[in-house]
Amino acid sequence: MTDQTKDQLADGSYEFLSIFLEGLPFIFLGTLVSGFLGTYLPRGAFEKILPKNNTLAILLSGLLGAIFPVCECAVVPVIRRLVKNGLPVSCALAYMLAAPIFNPVTAISTYKAFNNSYEITISRLTIGYLIAVIIALIAARIAQYFILKESAKADEGHEHNHPRNLNSALNNSLRDLMDVGLYFCIGVVLTAILKTTVIDPTDEFWKNLADNSILGSAGMMILAFVLSLCSTSDAFIAANFANFKYGPKLAFMVFGPMMDAKLVFLYSTVFKWKFIAFLFVAIFILTGAFSLLFEMKILPWWMTSQSEIPLAP
Amino acid sequence: MTPLHTRLFGLLAISWGSVLIYFYHSTRVKDYLAVDFHHFILVGGIGIIILGVYSVINPKPKNHSHPADHDHDHDHDHDCGHSHDKEDCESCEHHHEDGHGPFVTILLTLIPLTLAMSYTRDKLSNQGLTKKGLYEAPSLTNAADIPPFTREDLEKRVSKNQYGEFELRMITAYYAAGDREIQDIFDGLPVELEGRIAPEKINNETGDRMRIFRSIITCCAADLQVVGVSLQFPEGATRPKPEDWVKAGGTLTFETVNGTVLPLLKIREVIQAEEPYSEFRNRQ
Repeated sequence: MTDQTKDQLADGSYEFLSIFLEGLPFIFLGTLVSGFLGTYLPRGAFEKILPKNNTLAILLSGLLGAIFPVCECAVVPVIRRLVKNGLPVSCALAYMLAAPIFNPVTAISTYKAFNNSYEITISRLTIGYLIAVIIALIAARIAQYFILKESAKADEGHEHNHPRNLNSALNNSLRDLMDVGLYFCIGVVLTAILKTTVIDPTDEFWKNLADNSILGSAGMMILAFVLSLCSTSDAFIAANFANFKYGPKLAFMVFGPMMDAKLVFLYSTVFKWKFIAFLFVAIFILTGAFSLLFEMKILPWWMTSQSEIPLAP
Repeated sequence: MTPLHTRLFGLLAISWGSVLIYFYHSTRVKDYLAVDFHHFILVGGIGIIILGVYSVINPKPKNHSHPADHDHDHDHDHDCGHSHDKEDCESCEHHHEDGHGPFVTILLTLIPLTLAMSYTRDKLSNQGLTKKGLYEAPSLTNAADIPPFTREDLEKRVSKNQYGEFELRMITAYYAAGDREIQDIFDGLPVELEGRIAPEKINNETGDRMRIFRSIITCCAADLQVVGVSLQFPEGATRPKPEDWVKAGGTLTFETVNGTVLPLLKIREVIQAEEPYSEFRNRQ
C-alpha cells in the first residue's frame, strides 16, 4: 500500500467518524420522536390539524421548520413515521425539504457567514422554501404508489389496536433507529470515499467553473452533494469560495441540505429509488434556475441586491 | 420484529452508543467535533444505550391486541407474503416495516465503524489538510468579516507577549491579506501566532519556510477549514518539526505570489507550546 493510499484510508476513516459521531445523536433524537409519534399520535390527527385545502396545507408544512427546526438527518425518521400515521406525503415532503433551510439556526449562520448579508440569507430561505413547495405540489399529483416504499405507506385498512405505552414507543424507536442508522452509515461511507478519493474542492477544475454562472452553479451543487455538510455550517464553506459569484454559492447552500450523498440513502428508507432520482433532478434544475435568476437579478430586489463586499482599493 | 431480532438490534444499539461514549470519555471526540457538540455525544450515547438495554430486556411489545372483529386471515393490502393467525401476533410488526434484518444491519454498520476506528489517525494527513485549504489564498469575501479596524483598536483588543508581540489570532493574520487597509495596519507588526506546523509548498525554493496553521470548524471535521500563514526562518534558526504545536514570534509582512497577496511571518523565534484541549477554533 502506497503512502498516498494509507493517507486516503486514514483521511476517509477520519471523515467517516466525524460525520457518524455528529449525525448519530441527531438521528437517535429523530427516531425517538418518531417512535413516540408513531405510538401516541392518533390516526387521523393530521386531518384535524392541517387545512382541508391541500395547497394551503403544503404551504404551511413548508413553514414548519421555523417553529420545529430540525436538521436534515433527524427529519427523515420523523417524516417517515408521520407519513405512516397518515400525514399526506406532499406535506411531509414540503417539511422535509424546507426545514433544514427554513429555520432560524440556518438563517443566523448564513447571515454571519456572508458578512451580515440579509439579502443572501433571505434569498436562501425563500428559494429553499419555494423549491420544497413546488416539489411537494408536484408530488401531490403523483400517486403514492410511485413515491413511497411499501413499508413507509400509511397502515390504512390494517387497523390493529397497537398498544399506546412506553414499551411500544421504544420498540418503534429502536426499529426506526436501526433502519435509518443502516442507511445513514452506508451514506456516510460513500461520502467519505468520494471526499477523499474523487473530489478536491481546492482543485483548479472547480475554480475554473467560477467564471460561468451555469457551470458554476452546477459544479457547486455537485460539490454540495459530495461534501454532505450540515445546513448549519455549509454557509461558511460556501462563503469561502471566493472566485464564485453569489448565484453558485446560493445553489451550493440550497441544494446541499435537500440532496446529498448521505441523504440519498436516508431518503431510501421512505421513498422509492425512482422517486429519489426524480427528486435529485427536480431539485437540481429548480435550484440551478433560481440561482441563475438570482444572479441575473430577476428575483425581487430584496433578494438580489447582492451588496458588494466593502473591500479597500 | 421477533423478540430475537429486537434483542439483536438492542445489542447493536448498545454497541453504537458505546462508541459514542468511548469517544466522549477518551476525549478523542475533541479531534472530530466542535466543543459545543461534545455534550450531544454524551447524551446521545447514553440514550442509545438505554434504548438498547431496554430492548434486550423487553423484546416483546406488551398488550398487542386486535379488535374483536379484526379478521387476521385477511389478505393485507400490501404484500405480506402470507396470512397469519392471532397467535402469531407478536411478530406482526414486520408486516408494516420491511427493514433489513439484524444481521445485515450489524454487518453493514459495524464493519465500516470498526475499520474506520482502526485506520483513523484522529487527524487529517497533509494531503487531507491541503484539500481543506492549507495552501489556499485568503478569500476576499471573508476579509470583510473583519470590522473597521485601526491601530488603536489593535492596541486595545489584542494582548502582547513578553517581547511586545501582539498575540494575534491566526484567522486574523490570514484574512488580513485580503484587505489593503488591514494590511497597512498589520504590515511590519511584531506578532505571535500559535498553531500546528506543516511543510511549506508555496514560494519555498530556498527551503527556508514552513507553515503554521489552525483548523476552524462549525460542527464537525467534515466542515473543517484550514487557515495557514507562511513562516520564514533566518539562516541557522532552530526549526520545529511538522506536526509540532508552537508559538511563532516575528514580524508580520505581506508578499505577492502569482498575483495573490499572502501573509508571511518573518521569524524571530519559534518555541514549543502546550497544545490546547481542542485545536479547533469555532466559527462565531
